[in-house]
Amino acid sequence: MTDTTTTANPFAGDQSSVQRRETAVRWSLRLSTLLIVAVTVSIVAHIFIKGAPITFRSEFPFVNVKFLTELPGTLHVIYDKQGKATETDVNGADAIKKQLGANFREEKTISYSGGGILGPIVGTALLVIVSVVVALFLGVASAIYLSEYASKGKRVEMIRLAILNLAGVPSVVFGLFGLGAFVLTAPVFTDAPLERSIFSIPLGFTYLSFQGWDTCVLSGGFTLAFVILPVIITASEQCLQAVPQGFRETSMALGATRWQTIWRAVLPFATPGILTSSILGIARAAGETAPIMFTAALAFKDKLPWQKDLPPLPADASMFAHWEQSISRFLGIFTESVQALPYHIYTLAARIPHNEYSERAQYGSVFVFLVLVASLAATSIWMRRRLRGKYKW
Amino acid sequence: MDFAYGSKTALHGINLAVERKRVTALIGPSGCGKSTLLRCINRMNDRVSSARVIKGEVLVKGKNIHDEDVDLTQLRKQVGMVFQKSNPFPKTIYENVAYGLRVHGENDPEVLDEAVQRALKQAALWDELKDRLQAHALGLSGGQQQRLCIARAIATQPDVLLMDEPCSALDPIATLKIEELIHQLAHDYTVIIVTHNMQQAVRVSDHTAFLHLGKLIEFGDTERMFDRPKEKLTESYLRGTFS
Repeated sequence: MTDTTTTANPFAGDQSSVQRRETAVRWSLRLSTLLIVAVTVSIVAHIFIKGAPITFRSEFPFVNVKFLTELPGTLHVIYDKQGKATETDVNGADAIKKQLGANFREEKTISYSGGGILGPIVGTALLVIVSVVVALFLGVASAIYLSEYASKGKRVEMIRLAILNLAGVPSVVFGLFGLGAFVLTAPVFTDAPLERSIFSIPLGFTYLSFQGWDTCVLSGGFTLAFVILPVIITASEQCLQAVPQGFRETSMALGATRWQTIWRAVLPFATPGILTSSILGIARAAGETAPIMFTAALAFKDKLPWQKDLPPLPADASMFAHWEQSISRFLGIFTESVQALPYHIYTLAARIPHNEYSERAQYGSVFVFLVLVASLAATSIWMRRRLRGKYKW
Repeated sequence: MDFAYGSKTALHGINLAVERKRVTALIGPSGCGKSTLLRCINRMNDRVSSARVIKGEVLVKGKNIHDEDVDLTQLRKQVGMVFQKSNPFPKTIYENVAYGLRVHGENDPEVLDEAVQRALKQAALWDELKDRLQAHALGLSGGQQQRLCIARAIATQPDVLLMDEPCSALDPIATLKIEELIHQLAHDYTVIIVTHNMQQAVRVSDHTAFLHLGKLIEFGDTERMFDRPKEKLTESYLRGTFS
């Protein structure tokens, strides 16, 4: 009994050296993590500090309405002899110069930095809508095929590998693909095929001409759809696989066909996950610059896509003519080129001389952009929480 | 009948006549082929691409169900199935029971209401659930969920009801309720039940088939078989001295 104190410790070891190593490993891992957090926080803080004052106002209505509701334009800054600067647009410049008279010293013009950023916001929204609709349709269809119909084997594994590889393709390559495929080659119905048309099929009343859709929302949206397809296919397939096999068996045992089973007993329960992944896809699509550079986006455009001059209808035009014009105005939105937020930011940062005014426009755009993407991500998290609760099994 | 998955024969020369509106139990050690045999009766094995019937036929209402002119959806409408794990859809109670009718194109609310009520009554659930048909099915207890699955399977008024170890995931009280229910169901349906619980076979079934290694060892009246098994193998299995 008294022996215990004198027994040699059978588990003796070099404690100090082991502990030192443990501590070193733990701290290096912790520091790496903290470094990442620090970088993220400083990026976000930098943009908030520089961008928020441009977007928000201290008095009612608390947001910079002009910045969010006007199209971008050239900013004119007029200095008087005392060095006081007055900002205006192209229409206001002359009046101010006349008013200053002999006191006028100089006028600076800064491209793209005046007005607001409504054009880029609308353009990005349209591109995202088209790309998500296209990508969801194609993506969910192929995920259903891969998960529910295709027999497991080498061929399906090859297809999966190809889809995963698609995710690794640089986005500028997608841009060039979009230029070749959608801008220059995709088929259109037209009465007068262009000379550049690769070939056109006469249909009697019109031609089906492979001359492309030009630079427009549709071309850009389709290109972006292919950028986000791998994400959507992979995520949708995982969501479908997560639906218990028992639901399929039960449904089949009740006499449902395969499609009925998918439509009634699989898809509804995979939808929350599919929607979540698609919202992350939206954030990705909204952020891409390279794929839309050659396919949809312009550095500058002084009209919104629906502000197109159509020939005025005669006074006695029929209902049908009005209806037809509304439709063509609506469809016209998708065949217009647009401005887009990421491309606008790129233009402000890299294509014009840098000064305090361009910087202001730039930080404002980046801030708005960041808030949009963050709110999309937040929506996805909220939706996942809500729907998970409803469809738990 | 002989049946195989790929090159592995799972059932050898099974010959079995199930009596109408009686409960027939399939018993045997794990892997003896009792579930495979059950799944042959509504062709659920079709889902396994390598599964095939080597020779023989499965006759339901006098028709070989592996014939080419058999419509799978019609077959499964008339041969219902309840699985081991209760798996109600995450929908309302009503929609769960109505599922089978809906996939067969029935959308008339009156017909559906009536069928749901009848199925829930037959599954002894109507009194418990009649006031909350629109409640979520996953809010039910395990035993209620399994009875809901039975209601779902009988809503299309099948002739045959297949049950694959329907009580193995339930507590003794819920098991007892299901067993009572099986007795009731035998008035209207031909029930074939797979069970690994021999006491359950005694309690619920009129006839018992004992399978071993894919072969039918003995088939007959349940009471007689448990009292005086004809085969040595059956006897040692029932006595628990199985090697």
